[in-house]
Amino acid sequence: MFRFIARRFLEMIPVLFVIATLTFFMVRLAPGGPFTAEKSIPPEIQKKLEAFYGLNKPLYQQYLDYMGNLLKGDLGPSFKYATWSVNELIWSAFPVSLELGCYALAIAMLLGLSAGIIASLRQNTAMDHIPMSLAMIGICVPTFVLGPLLILVFGFALGWVNVSGWDSARDRILPALTLGTVYAAYIARLARGGMLEILNQDFIRTARSKGASSARIVFKHALKGGLLPVVSFLGPAIAGLITGSFVVETIFQIPGLGRFFVTAAFNRDYTMVLGTVLFYAVLIILLNLVVDVVQVWLNPKLRFE
Amino acid sequence: MQDTLANQAPNDIQFSEAEVGTSLWRDAWHRLQKNKMAVASAVIIAALSLVSAFAPWIAPYSYEEQNLELRAVSPRPGHWLGTDALGRDQLTRLLYGGRVSLMVGIVATGVALLIGVTYGAVSGFFGGKTDIVMMRTVDIIYALPFTIFVILLMVFFGRDIRLLFVAIGAVEWLTMARIVRGQVQSLKKQEFIEAARALGLPRWRIIFLHMIPNILGPIIVYATLTVPSVMLLEAFLSFLGLGVQPPMSSWGLMIKDGADRMEECPWLLVAPGVTLAATLFCLNFLGDGLRDALDVRASKD
Repeated sequence: MFRFIARRFLEMIPVLFVIATLTFFMVRLAPGGPFTAEKSIPPEIQKKLEAFYGLNKPLYQQYLDYMGNLLKGDLGPSFKYATWSVNELIWSAFPVSLELGCYALAIAMLLGLSAGIIASLRQNTAMDHIPMSLAMIGICVPTFVLGPLLILVFGFALGWVNVSGWDSARDRILPALTLGTVYAAYIARLARGGMLEILNQDFIRTARSKGASSARIVFKHALKGGLLPVVSFLGPAIAGLITGSFVVETIFQIPGLGRFFVTAAFNRDYTMVLGTVLFYAVLIILLNLVVDVVQVWLNPKLRFE
Repeated sequence: MQDTLANQAPNDIQFSEAEVGTSLWRDAWHRLQKNKMAVASAVIIAALSLVSAFAPWIAPYSYEEQNLELRAVSPRPGHWLGTDALGRDQLTRLLYGGRVSLMVGIVATGVALLIGVTYGAVSGFFGGKTDIVMMRTVDIIYALPFTIFVILLMVFFGRDIRLLFVAIGAVEWLTMARIVRGQVQSLKKQEFIEAARALGLPRWRIIFLHMIPNILGPIIVYATLTVPSVMLLEAFLSFLGLGVQPPMSSWGLMIKDGADRMEECPWLLVAPGVTLAATLFCLNFLGDGLRDALDVRASKD
């Protein structure tokens, strides 16, 4: 297993290299630049700005400079947020998104797994249809509807929580619910599907005929295999959750990382786009690695290849 | 079924395989017809698709027709679902919006299914170096910035709604590929696949005729989850100004507009919201029906 993990870490290097290179040239292909805002800057100042950030050098030279700095862990200065470096911006916003993402993940796992497992054990009864219908509603209500709806009910009508902001512990409740609901719904459906596959198999029938209690069948025999689809889904899902959501952060005015993924692309903040993409890439690769390890642990028929 | 296949003598397998090959789909069709919820859902989806497809002939108004004197009014005769802030008839916009939303749901999910299932199955079945290269490629595509990708598509190919479908399909297949790969890897170790290999069946035959029918359950479940996420992604892109532009509408865009004014004009949110929810519910029942109908382990009744 250690060889497997070590090899995957080595594989990360070329993957990150390809991602950095592709993204570097992709953002440069997009029309406009970081200093072509609606307010036109005098040409001489724009020249100076470009010279300061090295944008007047030939593209290959800029690429080599960027990759050289990247090797040292330096993601460069942000073009949009003057005096801020990309590293500082990411490290100031990530803790917020991480915290919110963890709450949302806890909600999603708790609601999703319990609903999915119960539904699979009571297939085609009310205990199956009601949670699965709720999950379907959770999937079709987009965050930009759920967020304002929760604000209307719990913020304005009932006055239990603040409408927006990120100061007290209470401010965490609505954003975490908004973000977590849709993931809970996905997890519930995937868990039900996965469990149904396993519960129909011969070894479960054998366990039943041997008189094993249904709790023992679920927790000891079925859960490991039944949760495989959920585990595959969780890798990218967790990466998405802890890097923040543009919509949720905009609605609730949260200073998280998610808004940078969209605003950096629109601002043509080249270094910020690259920085956020690489940060997300490292997270997703690490989480997919964790997923692969967990999958082998859950399914002994798989081996580390 | 798997065990019997593995235990049969080689000449029997030739026979039973021919029988299974034709009857899986016919069995599934019979089972699906018996499932009333699934049939009703299929009928509703077909009806919605037809109504949306013929929107220009059915819709009471033109989709760009504004009535600024009217502004936003609640449902009433003449405007059965009310009008929006610019006095546009909501029923008309809903019909036109269905064209975009249903198309994006079907096309992008189809693209995602086709690429994701094939890619994941090949990667999981071949394993080794092939698997490493294919899965690391998935990691790379996962990480590339989607917003920039869509902006580039718009720049190079112009604003074309079909591009949006391709762009969304091109990112949605990744999770499907990972799920299918995981399932194929665990299936690869089972006896009936070893038997098929021992018989010397070509690899594409093992993948497409023996493995994929056995993992249709998770594939269908994930596909029914992909349709709503694809429709909402279209709404998100329209929200950023990269998708459908007014006066053209989509359900996602209408929900977005409705969400902004849900307090004063709830009908703007209710009509598209209920339509989208109903469509997704039907898809879900149809998906579950298909899953049960295609379950190769279920008894033939």
